[in-house]
Amino acid sequence: MSARFRVLAALLGLALVVVSLRRERADAAEEARFRLVDVAAKVGITRVLLAGRPDKDHLLDSSGGGAAFLDYDKDGRLDVYLVNGWRLEGSRVVEKGKNALYRGKPDGTFEDVTDAAGVSGEGQWAQGTAVADYDNDGWPDILVTSFGRNVLYRNLGNGRFQDVAKEVGIESPGWNTGAAFFDADADGWLDVYIASYIDVTIEQVLAARPSLSWRGLETVAFGPFGLKGAPDHFFRNERGKRFVDATAAAGMEDQATGFGFGVRAADLTGDGRVDVYVANDSDPNYLYRNEGGGVFKEVATWSGAALDENGAAQASMGLALGDVDGDGIPDLFTTNFSEDFSTLYHGLGGGAYEDVSKASGVGAATFKPLSWGTAFADLDNDGALDLLVANGHIYPQIDRHPELIGTYAQKVLLLENKSRPGQPLFRDASAEAGPGLEPARAHRGLVIGDYDDDGRLDVLLTALDAAPVLLHNEGRAGSWLTVACEGAHGEPNPIGAVVTIRSGGRTQSQDIASGDSFLGSHDPRPHFGLGAAEKVDEVDVRWPDGTHSRRRDVPARQILKIRYGS
Amino acid sequence: MKLHVRSVTVVALLAATALAPKPAAAQAAGPSTPAELVATYKSLADGILSLKRTEEDLCRSILAAAHAHGRVELGRAQAAIKGGDAKAAQNAVENLAASVGQIATEGDNAVAAVRKKLLDGGHHHNAAGEAQGVFDEGFVIVTKAAKAKLLASSRAIGQMASAPKADALDAEWKKVDALFAELTKPAK
Repeated sequence: MSARFRVLAALLGLALVVVSLRRERADAAEEARFRLVDVAAKVGITRVLLAGRPDKDHLLDSSGGGAAFLDYDKDGRLDVYLVNGWRLEGSRVVEKGKNALYRGKPDGTFEDVTDAAGVSGEGQWAQGTAVADYDNDGWPDILVTSFGRNVLYRNLGNGRFQDVAKEVGIESPGWNTGAAFFDADADGWLDVYIASYIDVTIEQVLAARPSLSWRGLETVAFGPFGLKGAPDHFFRNERGKRFVDATAAAGMEDQATGFGFGVRAADLTGDGRVDVYVANDSDPNYLYRNEGGGVFKEVATWSGAALDENGAAQASMGLALGDVDGDGIPDLFTTNFSEDFSTLYHGLGGGAYEDVSKASGVGAATFKPLSWGTAFADLDNDGALDLLVANGHIYPQIDRHPELIGTYAQKVLLLENKSRPGQPLFRDASAEAGPGLEPARAHRGLVIGDYDDDGRLDVLLTALDAAPVLLHNEGRAGSWLTVACEGAHGEPNPIGAVVTIRSGGRTQSQDIASGDSFLGSHDPRPHFGLGAAEKVDEVDVRWPDGTHSRRRDVPARQILKIRYGS
Repeated sequence: MKLHVRSVTVVALLAATALAPKPAAAQAAGPSTPAELVATYKSLADGILSLKRTEEDLCRSILAAAHAHGRVELGRAQAAIKGGDAKAAQNAVENLAASVGQIATEGDNAVAAVRKKLLDGGHHHNAAGEAQGVFDEGFVIVTKAAKAKLLASSRAIGQMASAPKADALDAEWKKVDALFAELTKPAK
């Protein structure tokens, strides 16, 4: 064999190896169970979200904001709403960031319609958003919670909105954070709970400089310990005309003046009434049980959902709700500060919860990062809710000390659900979830929605001082069904409706909520992963007024539209 | 603020008195903290320690009130169970669970706000115990270990609310009773 022939043979062999490796990699990508790819810039979602000063001199600089998926123009496609903060230099306001409304287009891209719609945020330092048809006119309205005053954008139905916060009495000056619309007294009108964080003025924020010694290594933003908590508020909706502060009358007085962030309204006790759960930073969380007639009782301590398994209050930021182990009882998840696990409260029924963070694997996976937005979402459509957690520290200064646990920019976690009934169990699948989870950022908001209606749930993330991230789900997903409900007033996805499906011997249930995760709102359309099933035996919609609509033998892989009364 | 100004004035007057010229023999002993200031500080120390004891007594009273309330609710629950009044029994059991929760957390959310205020002001009643991991921040009587057990009892009682059984309630209450007795026994 000549030397030339040996070289040629070696080169040919090498080429074959390379081709084979490439094919294997391509096949692996094609078949990956989870594969998330950031397409935000490609589809036109580019608004940079401002967050105070580079050194995050005050906690307001680092609190960030939420986002929402909604369908504001009722064209059947998801739109995106983002809230924005301010940029500061020292004590000077350099720029008041504009919120952004992106209209989903048929080709899967988005168009910035903020100015045309008139929803830029009125110059407030926005924190969160919740979407609901508060006046029963059939069009989704947008509440923007803010540092300063709240903004309530009434949807005029012609592509434009009008701020009616003052007119309806919901401005509530202060540091407003998480909000959730829900019908507290079953009168057919959506009331709203709005959490508050710290009692502080903008002058104090602007004058603030880092003053807290962090482990003796760095001086960082002060608080929340040592600062006065601001009380949460409950507003009762008076037939869409006014919101009246009924916090005390409803039994929802924030007695501990907890540092409130995430809020979720749902039936947490299984009695058919909507309760409210509040994630408090550094204070016990609240569970307001609905006693009927618009009156609530705070029962978190003895229900097991206030503290961790050691009886300690945690620094809770965001939350998620879902039945992770398929036992028919909703479970709760709260995201917490770094070097403390985020907490999975396993629902035991009747409103009792048990911290199973360690046994479920959630504790170890979430111990290091500082966590915010979160969601239970069946990304691979196998019928089990996976768990997404957005992370990012609040102190940029920690990057100067690699010996500390964690960095300022942190990656998003994806925990795959491996639960059995009664035994919640998750495993960290972040490393195999594609390029979208690779970059570390100071993440905050996280909301879920199938923006391109391909039957796979996508993920929208916000981060400090950065453009948003839209993670397109390109994984190998199973069969699915999305249910798009139309309410009694023609409103898409009425808040408080519950959709239950039976398929492949399993029952799954999801409620339609406004206000979730960290100061945001998910795609309101219930989405169900069906695994290998290509048919749903029954779909049941329980409308907010208690009536039902049912469909039987529904083919999978579709967006099923169900109208109230049909 | 007024109180602060008055205190400073009193101390200043005492200091002026103490620093007034002394007989030659006294001057020969060398510089020392004026006895009047030491005496005043000693009185203040008695006051501070007395306040700390008062805080402890107050927290014992909060626990005792929650415990007494729990005992009453237990009686109500048992009477309701005996009388077949499911609604009243559920209400009483939930109140009992709440009372046990309040023993665990040394009071309700309103007390938590007071505790937070003290912590924000730098007051840790059991600073050494906190450092050793025995107490949660700001807690005066209830140790971490006792708190976890009491919270477990609170949750267990709460879970009985929809279908309470008298003997099961009694058994759980006995655990609470024992913990309460241990926590509130007089200091040696």
